[in-house]
This record gives sequence, C-alpha cells and structure tokens, in this order.
Amino acid sequence: MTKKLLMIDDDPDFVAGIKAILDNAGFEVEVAYNPKEGLHALQTKQYDLLLLDIMMGRGAEGIMIARKLRKDVKLREMPVLIITGMREQIAFLFPGEPIHPRFVEVDELVEKPVEPKMLIEKVNSLILTAETKKAGKK
Amino acid sequence: MTDTISFSQEVSNLLYAAEGEPIKTCIQCGTCSGTCPVAGYMDYTPRQIIAMINQGMKEQVLESNTFWYCASCYHCTVRCPQDINITELMYALKRYSIWKGQHKEGLIGPTFSEAFVKMIVRGGRSFEPILAPSYIFSFGLRELLQEVTNATELLLKGRLPILPARIKRLDNFKRIIGRIIPMGGLE
Repeated sequence: MTKKLLMIDDDPDFVAGIKAILDNAGFEVEVAYNPKEGLHALQTKQYDLLLLDIMMGRGAEGIMIARKLRKDVKLREMPVLIITGMREQIAFLFPGEPIHPRFVEVDELVEKPVEPKMLIEKVNSLILTAETKKAGKK
Repeated sequence: MTDTISFSQEVSNLLYAAEGEPIKTCIQCGTCSGTCPVAGYMDYTPRQIIAMINQGMKEQVLESNTFWYCASCYHCTVRCPQDINITELMYALKRYSIWKGQHKEGLIGPTFSEAFVKMIVRGGRSFEPILAPSYIFSFGLRELLQEVTNATELLLKGRLPILPARIKRLDNFKRIIGRIIPMGGLE
C-alpha cells in the first residue's frame, strides 16, 4: 500500500523539488501551500506522515500547527518531519544556536537544504516507528 | 511536474487569515496610491505593486523599495473599496523578501528591522544611540550633522538615555521570545 504524505510548505520551488523526490520513491504526496489549508486537510483526511515547514504566513506558523497537533487526540500519534530553513531566514537573531524541536511527540527535524537520500530514509523510519508503536498499543 | 502556485497566491498565503486571493479582487481604482503619504518616494505606487503582483512580476516587485517605504498609517486599508488589507500586504512582502534574502541594496528598512529586533530580543527595550548607526550613515552630510545636533540637544535636556535601560525579569522575557521563535538553545 502506498503511504500518503501531507506536505505543508509555502515555497512552491522547494515543494516541487521535495515532491519530485518523494514521488520517485513511491509515496503519494499531497501539498498545502498555507497553514490554514494544511490544518483543514489534516482534520478531514488521513495521512501517514506530515512534512512541516516552520516559517510560513505571519511568522513561525508551523509551530502553531505543531502545537495544535499535540493537543489533538486523533492527530497526536502522527509522525511529523519538520523541514525548516529558519536558521537562514532569521539567522541574524540567534547566530549558531540550535533550533529546539519537540513540539509534537513523534517528530524529527531536518534543515534545508535537504539531502534526498537522507530525506527518504528519515521518512521511512518515522513511518515504521509510528506503525510499530500503533501495533504495540493494540 | 507538479502544479505550482502563482506569485499572487504565494503572497496571499502570507497574509493573515487570507481566504483565497484578496489581491485578485483589486479593481485598480488608485485610491490607495492617492491616499498614501509616502507614495511620492516609492519606485512604484501601491496600486502598481498590486497590479505587478497579479501579473507575477516577482523580481521587479522584490527589487522595488515600495513596501520598505510604507509608513504603516493604514489609510489605504481604511479607504480600499474592495477591503484589501494593503498594509498587511506590505508587511507580507517585507517578510517574504527577508526570508528569501532578496531585497534592493542600500535600503534602510532591512538593516533597521534587524538592529531593532536584535536589540529588543537582547535587552527588552529600544535604545536609540545603538539603533541610529543602522541608518544614520545613509544620510548626506548635512542631514547627518542635523541628526547629530538634534541628538546632542536631546541628550543635554535629558531626553536621550546614555546607558541602555534594562527591563525587570529579562530571563522571563527571553523565555517568551523562545516560545515564539523556536531558536536560542531553550530547553
């Protein structure tokens, strides 16, 4: 069965690149170009993994989505891969300091630019750990 | 290939609570340009910028100084017959150009914003003597001297602090910032 992924990112060029990589790897990728649409899609449809950008809309709106996911009982279990270029986007603020993730229970953080091989590996491992966790609960 | 989105859609996505594409509803009446107090100093007037966004002229829009000159007086937003939030649009363009690292050279706006945000994050308050160098050298000699005399007079009257003011409980404030921007080694 093909895995369904949702990608929320506002940069069309970046989305095109990542989508091409994941399409070739045999995933089914849906894209939402703004956080609002993305959240709506998450609440109405079922996905195996979420690819999330941080800097969208009015600022760090990706974080707001992550926080909402964490509070949602149904969506809490979904693995999230955060892909962000925020270090470059607001580099002047905290030079050299780490981004602190942990906004959702199951997540991983990758910084732009993304290595295709590593991306696919991470996506696969995240889906796998989420599935084994689910199976263990049942 | 995937179907991508247009520049106007991209900009709309940056607007607060944007439903669809508000910019597309522009009727080019020119009320915003007529109202704008700084339109005379802009490369393109607000009306022209909206038309250019709708035409997808991304490079020219990002190269212009229009959105950096916006004084945020909100007069255009109030008067717009189509209820387009033009001031918000200007902010969106500022964000966009800073995130992409694409803006016109020699502008005060980006460096000033950077210096200001840095200062607030570090000390919690604005301190003019440090803020001034971010823009003061872009003036001509006469304006520079004018600024310096103004500053000296203010200083003598006790209107300009010599030492930066600190706020109480700076740590708490920094924690708040850390929650908004997920950077800064917070745990």
